[in-house]
Amino acid sequence: MSRDHPAGDDGHDGRLTDGGAASAADTATADQRGAPTGIRARLVGLWTLLHREILRYVRRPRNTFLPPMITNVLYFTVFGVVLGERISGGDPNAFGGAGYILFILPGLVVLGMISNAFENASFSIFHGRWNEYIHEVLTSPLSHTEMVLAYVAASSLRGIVVGCIIWGVGLVFTSVTVANPFYLVAFMIVIPTLFAAFGVIGGLWARDFDYLTVMNQFIIRPLVFFGAVFYPLSALSGVWRDVTLLNPMVYMVNGVRYGVIPEATDLSPDLSLAVLTGLTVVVIALDIALVKRGYGLVD
Amino acid sequence: MTEPAIRTRELRKSYGDVQALDGLDLTVDRGEFFGLLGPNGAGKTTFINALVGLVHKDSGSAEVFGFDVEDDYREARDRIGLAPQEFNVDRFFPIIEVLEHKAGYHGIGSADARRRAEEALKTVGIWEKRDTRFDWLSGGMKRRFVLARALVSNPDLLILDEPTAGVDVQLRHDLWEIINRMNDAGTTILLTTHYIEEAERLCDRVAIMDSGRKVEVAAPDDLMSRGTDTIDIELADPIPTAPQLDVEGVTEVAVTDDGLSVTAAGGSQTAPALMRALERQGHTVTSLDIRRASLEEVFVDLTRDDREYAEVSA
Repeated sequence: MSRDHPAGDDGHDGRLTDGGAASAADTATADQRGAPTGIRARLVGLWTLLHREILRYVRRPRNTFLPPMITNVLYFTVFGVVLGERISGGDPNAFGGAGYILFILPGLVVLGMISNAFENASFSIFHGRWNEYIHEVLTSPLSHTEMVLAYVAASSLRGIVVGCIIWGVGLVFTSVTVANPFYLVAFMIVIPTLFAAFGVIGGLWARDFDYLTVMNQFIIRPLVFFGAVFYPLSALSGVWRDVTLLNPMVYMVNGVRYGVIPEATDLSPDLSLAVLTGLTVVVIALDIALVKRGYGLVD
Repeated sequence: MTEPAIRTRELRKSYGDVQALDGLDLTVDRGEFFGLLGPNGAGKTTFINALVGLVHKDSGSAEVFGFDVEDDYREARDRIGLAPQEFNVDRFFPIIEVLEHKAGYHGIGSADARRRAEEALKTVGIWEKRDTRFDWLSGGMKRRFVLARALVSNPDLLILDEPTAGVDVQLRHDLWEIINRMNDAGTTILLTTHYIEEAERLCDRVAIMDSGRKVEVAAPDDLMSRGTDTIDIELADPIPTAPQLDVEGVTEVAVTDDGLSVTAAGGSQTAPALMRALERQGHTVTSLDIRRASLEEVFVDLTRDDREYAEVSA
């Protein structure tokens, strides 16, 4: 039997074209067509995945931005308004004279940022693996580095937006003066970026949805709650203070707090910022290595 | 020198004790419509996944238009459009945006990506569903969409893993037409299918795979010519027992109600000698019908032979 190739009755030659007519480039050889090696093509690819990742959560504010807003209204109401006076004992100099609401505000910002940055990256990658649509990305000419940067940047941005929302909620309950804008901005970029990078690992490692819950509820949140969010380090003594200093969250909360109430902080922010920045670079490099190896992605 | 669309050498991949690809050597020329046939578990999908980066090979090499699929993965993948068997489509976005994203990953700017996405949806006939999410499409529309996604980057190599599995006859013919147009325009097609008729009708060459190996590669006509044809002979006076027929190519003679059923390699070449032999023995042939071996029969024979060989070797 001979091969049967019915011709299209609309004169269409089958390949997609620029404007409908087959161009020479379209039917040119595979060697000549535009491989995505040009810087513009690479940026387009990176931007497309970044844009896709951002759109995924921006279009679902009820799932992504509303919950942290409500949660933090509850935090400020209960811990700040209802219990705040009792915790400070009426001492106007407690918490660096800032008031309890302002004292806990940086910690809640950190909690919101890292939770959302981590959850976004881990969920997006795991959900894509679970439903296999991450193959659209994996079978594309995006480089491993571009893939990781897009997931990390989009997730970090979600953390930053949530952090800003929490600042906004805090402003309803107290006034805020930025004392060290450099540190505030730097920590608010580095912290969610680090946890977005951790989220990539989580998304690659997870074998089912329970893994994601376990990571967020049983690892990240306890570390934050014991990370001097609701109390100053000076409130601890002896072994409890030493143990708390092993918790990396302490340095993150302290760093953001330094941006608004430096007098209420217990640690220098410079070393924290340097260590966090270095750690972020290392974790992103690890992400790239894992994706290149195909960990959790490729058979 | 012009590199072939696909070239693999000694390609191996195992999953534990299962050898999914067992030293596969295969070359698909540019512009070819190439079929990949094989029973379930033959290694067809593993082979495809190795080309597109969803499987890491254990050893050997695989190139797409001369680009190694692991060392030069970006160049290789940019030339491939894949329509997989499974519906692995982004569920978060309307289908036109899914296509725009896919085009964007290939470095195509947003305006051009939009135009290509629109054109791809029109080409496969689901333009009116452009703002619908994938989950809300019917089964046939999903199959069309997966093809549109493969087309949107304007690939030089279109890989179709059972594109017509479970679709109705009309849709199958629609998809064949679209694929044929692509091939006529110069796109190399790699098609896996369980529908032998599809391979017979569409492919320039087919490879038959089994147990991760290539069993045979040839044009469908060539393969069919290697099979045994059946010659149904009606005799004026039916006979009770099969006669001895010393004719080259004849492998089996059986008596039927009105004559004989002769199995022979190359039925049309054998028939004249067969008639002469019967007439010499005093039989009168009143009619003769040659039924050619189908590709399906050849496929079954080849894969059975390969399994028997593998069992003996083991």
